[in-house]
Parts: sequence; structure tokens; C-alpha cells
Amino acid sequence: MTPKARGQHAPAPRLAGTGQLADDLYLIAHHERTGKPLLAPRAVGLGLAGALLAELIMAGAIGIAVGTVAAGPFRSNDALAAGVIGQVTAEPQRYPVQDWLTVLARTVPQQVAGRLAEAGYLVPASGRPWRGQRWVPVDADCAFAPVTRICSAIGSARGDAQGVTLAALAAACGLGARLALYLPPGSRARLDQAAAWLDPSLREVITQTQAAVDAAVLAHRA
Amino acid sequence: MTRPTYPIRLYPRSRLMSRTQAATARPGAMSRELARDRLGVPAVLFFVLAGVAPLTVAAGVIPIAYATTGLTGIPATFLVIAVILAIFSAGYVAMTRYIRNAGAFYAFISAGLGRVTGVAAALVALLAYSFLQIGLYGAFGPNAQAEAAAHLGVHAPWWAWALGAWALVAVLGLLRVDITGKVLGVLLTCELIVIVAQAAAGLARPAGGHLSFATLSPADLTSVGFGTFGVLAVVAVLGFVGFEQAPVLAEEAKRPRRTVPAATYTALGMIAVVYAGVSWAMAAHNGTGHVVAAAGRLGPGLLFGLAGSAFLSQAAQWLFLTSLFAAALAFHNAVWRYMFALGRENVLPAALGRTGGNNIPKTASLVQSATALAVITAYAIGGWAPMENLFFWFGTSGGLGIMILLAATSVAVIAFFARDPRGENPWRRLFAPALAALLLAGIVVLAVQHYAILLGIAPGDPAAWALPTSYAVVAAIGLGWGVVLKARRPQVYATVGLGAHAVTGQAAPAAPAEGELR
Repeated sequence: MTPKARGQHAPAPRLAGTGQLADDLYLIAHHERTGKPLLAPRAVGLGLAGALLAELIMAGAIGIAVGTVAAGPFRSNDALAAGVIGQVTAEPQRYPVQDWLTVLARTVPQQVAGRLAEAGYLVPASGRPWRGQRWVPVDADCAFAPVTRICSAIGSARGDAQGVTLAALAAACGLGARLALYLPPGSRARLDQAAAWLDPSLREVITQTQAAVDAAVLAHRA
Repeated sequence: MTRPTYPIRLYPRSRLMSRTQAATARPGAMSRELARDRLGVPAVLFFVLAGVAPLTVAAGVIPIAYATTGLTGIPATFLVIAVILAIFSAGYVAMTRYIRNAGAFYAFISAGLGRVTGVAAALVALLAYSFLQIGLYGAFGPNAQAEAAAHLGVHAPWWAWALGAWALVAVLGLLRVDITGKVLGVLLTCELIVIVAQAAAGLARPAGGHLSFATLSPADLTSVGFGTFGVLAVVAVLGFVGFEQAPVLAEEAKRPRRTVPAATYTALGMIAVVYAGVSWAMAAHNGTGHVVAAAGRLGPGLLFGLAGSAFLSQAAQWLFLTSLFAAALAFHNAVWRYMFALGRENVLPAALGRTGGNNIPKTASLVQSATALAVITAYAIGGWAPMENLFFWFGTSGGLGIMILLAATSVAVIAFFARDPRGENPWRRLFAPALAALLLAGIVVLAVQHYAILLGIAPGDPAAWALPTSYAVVAAIGLGWGVVLKARRPQVYATVGLGAHAVTGQAAPAAPAEGELR
């Protein structure tokens, strides 16, 4: 990113985090300066799909009953979230979490990037139109902030469900090695303990995301 | 820490149909999305055949099998084994629909015969696929050496070429590169064209001007006693390895119930016809009485010389090298997949189940590369013959391991459906697997008894007992480890055989939903 581009956008204090799980996970899953993905494309998609579902569960917009996704009573003002809720309610039947992850994973990365761009966190990278749209963080420190939030969530004694869910989803989609660089030893065990206390719906989304990412590693076609 | 709760009030039941009810519902956008990118029979068939690497078998395995065993019943054996494997597949593909991690034998065996046996089967499979993978360097080395000396004027020992291929496989493995479908498809098509052309030309020019059908006769199966069939069968099964992979794609297939069986049976039929045809052509072209001597003299040249065309021979020789390399990479990926799945289950050290940047399972890939490097180095220092003592010994030992797993899987299928028939007919759940189990177990016993003939060595040679015994050793270790897991780490034990689904603990895929994927 050029210094000019950085100057054009909002100053750092406004970028204190969108408070959305999928946005935070997007930032962790991409390099804070170059914006290059740190995971395989499929894992990014599955992780963000899981984060979006978790976001909606925490907002009370969807719920998980007997392993399937159902619409809840609350609505969302966010366009991306509203779109997914619309998809869930439009279906004549309920589908398992795994199916939603599969389908959402195809489109969610670009949508979350768009949401982050609107909020002023990302700008489109120039050039290489044949490689598909790539996004670059406006401010590397802000892009790195979710990692710091995870550190404090795991360290905190009073339980931060959103931070723990974010950490668990990041580990599930293959970012464990990246997080381990910044976390004190023994964090993984503390995270597993904390995740065991999460709402069952959130735990279901986390384990299904992990299974889908593992299956993608084992899959023969990319 | 208190458990947070969220105010979820679900819609009235009337709006929420179950999956089974949904089959009659109007398919929505979701079912269209789920059906997108699903694989049909041709795609699955292509995937299976590419994994089989036909030229590796036609130019590598068959000539050296003629030479080493001195037996001429190879063409007939391919046909018999195809029938046995088809019988095996009846129960195998039926069970595929009800388990996770399908395509890994130990998943079937864990679900059918219990997880302790499953751990033993996992280690046997790991050893068998490792044998198969490392053995391929023993063929790549000397054949690359010969090609380079003849055409490039480069004179390097076989192990230098083997190490070159090893290094490339190691790097591609770390980059998580599978040779893509298109590249593999072109190679596969070229391989098949070359094999069929060579076979047809060989049959058109039989020895003495008279086409002999002797090697296709069942009488040739047991020419030197009944036991020799076991030896021939191991060679033939080695040729078919890869056919078992179709269920891997079950969850990605358009209609798993039809796509996977159709691809499996078609692959078996095609492989049988091609291998029986080309090995028959070798015998007919050289004369049934002379094919063993000719194979000893010519090696892979037994195939290349069939047509008497310099162009076809040269094309076959280059394709043989690419086929060997593609097979080495494919088996490298198969081995790390096993290790990764077992690492995820915590059956093997968890480090094997961890991924680094870009979700690449570096540790599992590096462990297999290190093993291969150690073996190639040992053969180079020991001065052992790469083609016979590495390629053929390791290859056939891998084939024996696969045979053991096929037999155990058949028994597992019977046990699995004995607890709950799940609406499968008696042929699929009982008679076919029972027949397959008897035949395959019989073959394993015969092969182990006559292992010296298989390897082409004196009966007292240590290799004749050491190689088959290696399976007994890892199986015993696996059984012991399985018992320890059961007693000490029940949460790990509970997920044996689930692979990627170890984390969810869900033993069965969602109910088969054929109607949704139109």
C-alpha cells in the first residue's frame, strides 16, 4: 500500500474494530501489511462462513437445533448478515451447519472484504486484474488488533464469549500456528477450556468449521 | 466463567421440515448450490484411473514379475483378480454410504471390527502405502539413468536420479501440489494409448506367426502348484491399487449411491482388460516359453519393443518416467493424508495433524520424505539392485499389505451390516464380502507361504520372511496401542477412524439425500 492511500483514509482511532466476528477473522487470516491470505482459499472461505454463522448466533438471528440452522427472532441491519438470514428463511427446509458452511464459503470472503472496505479497514489493491480482487489493510496496526483481542480474551478470567469464539474459529481454520507466535505457552489448552463453556450452538459451528477445514486438507481437489 | 445464553426462539414446527420430508419439497436455491460442482461418473473414473498409473504397471511391474517369479499365468491372474475385487467392491461401496473418512481402509475396519483392530489396520495401511511409494524411486532411478545416458549424454548413478525425483516430490508435497486433474488426465490418456497400441502391435506379430492363448488359460494360474496363484495374485493386486479410492469422492459425487459403484466397477473392468491384454501380448509376441527369459533380458523394454516402432518405444519410455513420478507424488500424498488423519484423531502424535501456513500439513509430508530419503540412501550405500530389490520387493510387499487390508475390510463389512442391515440386500452385506474375505485371506496365506518365489530368491533368504513379518509387527504394535488408548485415553479412542470428523465425533454422514442432488 502506498503512503498516499493510507493518508486518504480514516485515521487509526476510528478503526477500533467493527465488533463483527467475521471481520476480525478476515483480518487475522490475511497479512496485516500485504493483505495476502495466510490460509488456503477454501479454508479462508470455510472459516469466514463459520464466523458469519457465529456472528448471527450471537445476535440471536439464527439458532442451531439438532445440528441444523434455523432462523431466530432477531433481524440485523447489516446487509451481509441480512442476506444470510434471508437465505435461511427462504429455504423450505433446514440444512445442517456443514451444508451452510459449504455454500457460504464460496462467496463470503469477498463479501466480508467488502464490508471491511465500507467500514474503512481495507482498500482494493491495484493491478493484477486477472488474479481476482485483492484487498490491502489501510492500517497494519488496526489489522493486527484482533490478534491482540484474542490474547486478552484468552488471558481474561471473566470470559469474553466473542473473543473466545474468534480464537477458537481462528484455530479451527488453521491459524493456530500464527496465533501461537503471539500467545504465551499453554494458551491452546486454556482456549479449549474456555471454548467448552461457550453456547452449544457456537460450539457446534466451531467443530463443524474445524471438520470442514480438515476435510478440505484431505480432499483431493482444491 | 458463566455460560452465555442467547435468546433463540425457533419458528413453529410446521415451518421446519425434516430432511426426509424435504425430498418431496420444491428444491430451493440451497439444494441447487449444494449440487453445484458435484462430480459425475466420468470425473470419478478419471480420478481413480489416474491414481492407478497404468504405464507404471505395464512397463514396470509386469516385465519384472515375469522375470522374477518365472511364472506365465500373469494375464489370466489379472482377470481373476478383477472378478475377486468386483465381488469385494459390492460390500465395500455399500458400506461407504454409512461411514466417515471413506476411502481409508482403517475407517471401514474401525467401524466394523472395532477401534483396536482399526488402529492396527491404520498402521498396516501406512506401512503398505509407504512401501508402494518408496519402491517407485527404485524404478525411476535406473530408468531415468538409462534415458539420460542414451539421449542427453548425462551419466549419473541411479540413486542420483532417484534423489532428484525424491527432492521434487518432497518440495511439491510441502507446497501441497497435487498434479492437477488436467495434467494427469493428459498423461493418463497418453499412457493408455501407448499401452493399447503396443499391445495390439504385439498381438498382431505373435511368435512363430501363431497367436497363443495359453497365458490367458486358467490352467496357467497354478502351473507350478496351487501356491503360485498366491504369488501371481499379489502382483495383480499391485496393478489394481488405486481402485479403492473412488469412495474418497463419495461426499463430492452427484449421486454417491450410483456414481461411486459405477466408477469403481468400470475402473476394475478397464484395468483388467488393459493389463491382461498387454501382458498377454508380451507372452504371445515373445512366445510363452520365452517370455520369462525375454523379460529378464529386456526389463521394461519388454513393453517398449512390442510394436517395433522407434517412435512409439521412445514415447513409451518418456511416459514411463512421468508415470512413475506422478505415481510417486500420488502415493506421497496418500501417505501424508493417512498420517494427517491419524494425527487429527490423536492416534499418532498430534504434530502430524497440525498444519502450517496455507493449511499445509508440513510435518506429515516431511516425515514421509525423510523415510524415503533413508531408504534410497541405504540402497545406494548397500549397492542393492534398485529395480529388483527396491521397486519390485517394496512394490509387491505393498501389494501384500493392500491384500491383507482388503481381506480385513471384507470381514469388517460383514460385521458392520450384521449389527444393522440398513436395508442392504444379502449379497452386498453378507455373501459377497464373505466370498471376498475367503478368497483374499486364502491368497494372503498362499502368498506368504511362497514369498521367496514372489521375490525371486532362495527360500531361506531373510527377506522372504522379514517383509511379510513387518506387517505382523506393526499390526501387533497397533493392537497394543489400541488397547492403551481404550484404557487410558477414551476420548481419543472414541474417534478412531473418523479422520477429519474426529473433532465432531459424528460417526455417520448425514442421511443419504439422493433426491436433493438432481
